[in-house]
Amino acid sequence: MAIPQDRHVEDRPAINRLGLWLFILSDGFLFVVLLTTRFYMQGVQRPAEVNQPLGLAISIVLLLSSLFAYRGETAAAYGDVKRFRRNILVTIGLGALFLAGVVIEWAEGFHFFPPQSTAYGTVFFTLTGFHAFHVVTGLLALVIILLPGQQKRLQSGNHWGVEAMVKYWHFVDVAWVFIFPTLYLVS
Amino acid sequence: MARKGDLQRKLRLGYVVFGVLMVIEIVEYVVGTGLRSGNWPYLGILAIVGAWPILRYFMHIQQLRKPKE
Repeated sequence: MAIPQDRHVEDRPAINRLGLWLFILSDGFLFVVLLTTRFYMQGVQRPAEVNQPLGLAISIVLLLSSLFAYRGETAAAYGDVKRFRRNILVTIGLGALFLAGVVIEWAEGFHFFPPQSTAYGTVFFTLTGFHAFHVVTGLLALVIILLPGQQKRLQSGNHWGVEAMVKYWHFVDVAWVFIFPTLYLVS
Repeated sequence: MARKGDLQRKLRLGYVVFGVLMVIEIVEYVVGTGLRSGNWPYLGILAIVGAWPILRYFMHIQQLRKPKE
């Protein structure tokens, strides 16, 4: 039986969202595996040299970036293109700041717990590296939604592209909510 | 006008969620640095509690069940 055309159009956002959530779920499993590896290889042991204050600082930066991403998406949903642009630009800046923090962490990590000689170092660099890769791809996605073509779509009431990219950005934040205590605080 | 008010309400909600996340993050940090051993069950619970507002209010996970929300 054929699905009526109007029904198909009406269901489109719901189907898109379901697809995105399935992608997020499957990507989330990779993080779960890596988080489990930390406990399997190292138990709850942690080197004393882990920079906990820096870990907290970059966590706050990432949470703040999620707030601005949310504001950007909400503005896009209401057709407020100016506010959308402003908030997404701040999100991109905060994401870049987070990456700068990770670079400092890595410099310290290579000195105190190098990946080639300690199990903790291996897990630390794998997890933070995998997460940082997601941040980089998230930043690229955020830059793409700032391109003029996307804004034309926004003006015509279609903000699915923005919603999808911002949801991905929040997912990167959720992953960090688990990575931060696992690597920096558990003992 | 009502639409603008609705936008402002949603933007304010973002600040409330961020405030809650900040509190959870700081409690997590205090527990992690204050309890030198056996802190992992508390940190696990706090991580789940911290992830929920992001999933619910920022990612709108409820839209999977109720697409109109």
